[in-house]
Amino acid sequence: MAPLLELNHICKRFGNLQALDDVTLHVNKGETVAIIGPSGSGKSTLLRSVNYLEKISSGEIIIKGQKLVQSPQGKPLYLPEREIRRICSEIGMIFQHFNLFPHMTTLGNITYAPIKVKKQPPAEAEAEARRLLELVGLETKADCYPAQLSGGQKQRVAIARGLAMQPELMLFDEPTSALDPEITGEVLSVMKTLAEQRMTMLVVTHEMGFAREVADRVIFMADGHIVEQGLPQDIFNNPQSERLQNFLKSILRS
Amino acid sequence: MDFSLLTIKIYIENWLGGLAANWDYAQVILPSLLHGTVTTIQVFFVTLIFSIPLGLPLALGSESRLLPIRWFCRFYVFVFRGTPLMLQLFFVYFIIPIYTGIMLDAMTSSMITFVLNYAAYLSEIYRGGINSIDRGQYEAAACLGLSKAQTVLGIVLPQMVRVVLPAVGNEMITLVKDTSLVYALGVTELLKASRAAVNRDGNLTAYLLAAVIYLILTFGLTKLQKYLERRFSRHEKRSE
Repeated sequence: MAPLLELNHICKRFGNLQALDDVTLHVNKGETVAIIGPSGSGKSTLLRSVNYLEKISSGEIIIKGQKLVQSPQGKPLYLPEREIRRICSEIGMIFQHFNLFPHMTTLGNITYAPIKVKKQPPAEAEAEARRLLELVGLETKADCYPAQLSGGQKQRVAIARGLAMQPELMLFDEPTSALDPEITGEVLSVMKTLAEQRMTMLVVTHEMGFAREVADRVIFMADGHIVEQGLPQDIFNNPQSERLQNFLKSILRS
Repeated sequence: MDFSLLTIKIYIENWLGGLAANWDYAQVILPSLLHGTVTTIQVFFVTLIFSIPLGLPLALGSESRLLPIRWFCRFYVFVFRGTPLMLQLFFVYFIIPIYTGIMLDAMTSSMITFVLNYAAYLSEIYRGGINSIDRGQYEAAACLGLSKAQTVLGIVLPQMVRVVLPAVGNEMITLVKDTSLVYALGVTELLKASRAAVNRDGNLTAYLLAAVIYLILTFGLTKLQKYLERRFSRHEKRSE
């Protein structure tokens, strides 16, 4: 079976900086892939390229067999804006800073896109939203505004909001980096539940514990390249490259 | 110094007598002042009702990726902010009829000019409000598949309203007072009516009354602004 997501030879330049340099990565349906690496290594840029938050400089992105972008002559050729929006609405994205809509209640945040984009009847969207809130353990917070929630609760609402669009793929961009250490657990456990339900997930993270326990595959990136990838136990117990060995050492020391 | 109780009594009686006479006089001139106030309120409301929505397309246009639209909106704002309102009144009332043959009465010209002028100022306030909204909000909206229109109407505008309310309220209070400029076209509003009374009767009471009426109008606006600010920041409260 073809992979759900194919990134082929992705390059991304910001001015003189080569943020991504010929990155190729395939993600299969039901797989949880963790991307680790030092800051500035291009992890987030790679993730954001998948759903068009960043435009790539060259390469090919294929989602469920549809070519979002290809580069026949080294120049990126994107699908029309409408098509991109349709394809990307099947990809959920979780941000480091949650990006909930502050003027809407929890329920409003979750149901807005299904009602507007998927034309779901409001009652149906609300029932689905309540089911998702139960999944993330926040069924009592349906009528709260984001300002009334803790960071961990906000992130769980954001996950419910992403799931409400019934995505095929969920992207997580450092979902716990803005949280206090003692509440990262509540977000990670929701993500673990999703992984167990075989949701396809691509997770940029600094949580080595999560990468080790939950991910099916771990990608190590540095300087815009994929330096090493493999099963979590191989990556963490038997790192091959010096970059990865140094990175793991510095993580463990802190 | 003979500061007996009697003298004080006479002073007070004189003062009260003067006040009573003034009050009688005030009642005589009040109808014409109130008549002027109606004109003031008319110009105010027409400007408020039309300029508040008109500022929005100008604000969005000033940031448009389509260059002709952006240039037009920015040029519009440049012209209307860069020239005196009174000059604009003269243009609409005197100069446009000469070149287009369209004659408008003084009141209509005044209202059109005020709407066009205030839309320019408001658009800049809106633009600031729109720019204050975090990029993450646009990104989240895009990731959920929302269209541009859905993002602007559902996500950006409701948040912008809260941000711009104090500045818009300020602008509306300025507007109440700016309406007095329409006297330049011969329209009799509150200030012109009171000046007429002062000049005619050689009595300054009309100015005092005008001040009180302006304060009543702006007091009402201040209250309305406070109410709207509370209403639009309900979601900011941390607890119910």
